[in-house]
Amino acid sequence: MPRKLAAAILILVIAGAVLAPWIAPFAYARQFRDSPDAGPGGRFIMGTDDVGRDRFSRLLYATRVSLLLAPAAALVSVVLALAISIPGGGGFAPIRRPINGFTTICLSLPWLFLFIILRAELPLNTAPLTSALLTFGLMGVAGFAWPARVFTASVREIRESGWVLQGRAAGMRGWRIAAVHGWPHLRAIAAAQFRVLVPVYILSEASLGLLGLGVSDPLPSWGNLLQELQHPDRVRANPWVLAPLGLLIAVTICLESLQGLPAGRRRE
Amino acid sequence: MNTSKAAAEFGVAGRLLRSALSLLLVVAAGGFAAAALVRYSPGFDVDENSWNAKISPSTLAAMHANRERQNSLPRFYAHYLMAALHGDLGQSDSLRVPVTELLRDRAPVSARLVASGTAGGLAFGAALAWLAVWPRRAAARWFASGTSGFLLAIPPAVLGLAFFFSAAPLSFAVALALTPRVFGTLRALFDELYGSAALLAARARGVGPFTLGTRYVLGAAAPQLIALIGVAFVMAFGSIIPIEALCDVPGVGQLAWKAALARDLPLLSGLALIVTFMAAFVQSMGDLLTGEGW
Repeated sequence: MPRKLAAAILILVIAGAVLAPWIAPFAYARQFRDSPDAGPGGRFIMGTDDVGRDRFSRLLYATRVSLLLAPAAALVSVVLALAISIPGGGGFAPIRRPINGFTTICLSLPWLFLFIILRAELPLNTAPLTSALLTFGLMGVAGFAWPARVFTASVREIRESGWVLQGRAAGMRGWRIAAVHGWPHLRAIAAAQFRVLVPVYILSEASLGLLGLGVSDPLPSWGNLLQELQHPDRVRANPWVLAPLGLLIAVTICLESLQGLPAGRRRE
Repeated sequence: MNTSKAAAEFGVAGRLLRSALSLLLVVAAGGFAAAALVRYSPGFDVDENSWNAKISPSTLAAMHANRERQNSLPRFYAHYLMAALHGDLGQSDSLRVPVTELLRDRAPVSARLVASGTAGGLAFGAALAWLAVWPRRAAARWFASGTSGFLLAIPPAVLGLAFFFSAAPLSFAVALALTPRVFGTLRALFDELYGSAALLAARARGVGPFTLGTRYVLGAAAPQLIALIGVAFVMAFGSIIPIEALCDVPGVGQLAWKAALARDLPLLSGLALIVTFMAAFVQSMGDLLTGEGW
């Protein structure tokens, strides 16, 4: 997909999400008990769910939750990874080895399993907004390992590079070498890692929401809206319940396209 | 000659030792995390005597202090690890069944799903990667990248539900969830091999496609492929959790999900210990065979 088209679709979706309070005809939690499971029509553009909530309004707010909190979680991961990778990529082996070992363990564990354990530690009766913040916050913390591995390798590469050696020989102080030579290089890699993590977290939230371990009702997210896919009769009767899935696929592919490389290759 | 042989033997022994040590370290760390989860789970140190009105507050305080001492994390961890070494991972809070018994019943179901899904994912991913690199046609490349990107954008649980409702084998869902991850690595590998001097020379000599594939591609990429198989196994395990949970497959993934929903921390901890061991074992095997490590 051409990058301009991807960017245009993404801007449209983000605009819809940001403007949700003005565009959405109803509040996302408002129940119309006289019209449960209503089909699309004049009053409800995409119909209502089984408790009579407007599907279109919920989709707009869900987009808002998923698209705004995933970048925040990606930022948490990148900041954590940067903090860990500086000693992890350093030359002091007693610090470097345990850090790299811990990162390797976190990398080798199935990510979803790790997250399920962390999520299970938290109480069930959290408020919807708190559950959303916890879900994405935990994702950000649990997902630090992959960028940390990349940053650690970069820090090691920078430390051993010719220009750092030259800087040292010229009498530059450590902090100045880090600011002049290290950070500009790391910043670019951090930005790339951030862009990679955003679609990963959007998809992870969708998986967790489907399992009932993500954002809790009535606050909508793409994950908990996708729970309706568990009822094939409902999908057959109301095919528009697939709209969150369509949006999820479109946004993820657009985000992947904007990375500048085909989806699979960029993971390298 | 003798020196190089001795060095090679020491290298293999050193790698074996390093792998064994790292495995032990990981299991010890995993065990500690599991024990800490159980020890600090809500209600762990609640005693029914706390509600006994006949016991004086000072006696209750003394009993509580005694329990605290007995269940201090290091002591609790030592007991937990010793019991785990003897195959006792405790009892599930929600199912009231020993964790080892639950694992014994469910592991074969998940193992079959993971094995067939990994095999399928590797095959599909390799086929797509071959299509993206070998024919050198833009249409084939875009088809491969597009398919991979599309599959990457669908959560494994949705793939599982689609296969479940159409009564298709769920191992295909695991395979398709794994395909884009395998595709990425193999495509980069094939790209590198395609431009290698050895392969170019072999093609110039008119070596047939079968020999090219087996000797020059599989042979040259064997270490990376072995490492990829290990990683793919771990990724497949991650994919089966939502698939088993939503498609009612009685495997370990469904057990983990039920344990998470029921806040069954003894069961989750036992699972964490086993999964950590398996993941570390696969990782160590990969490191051992490829000669890499921490």
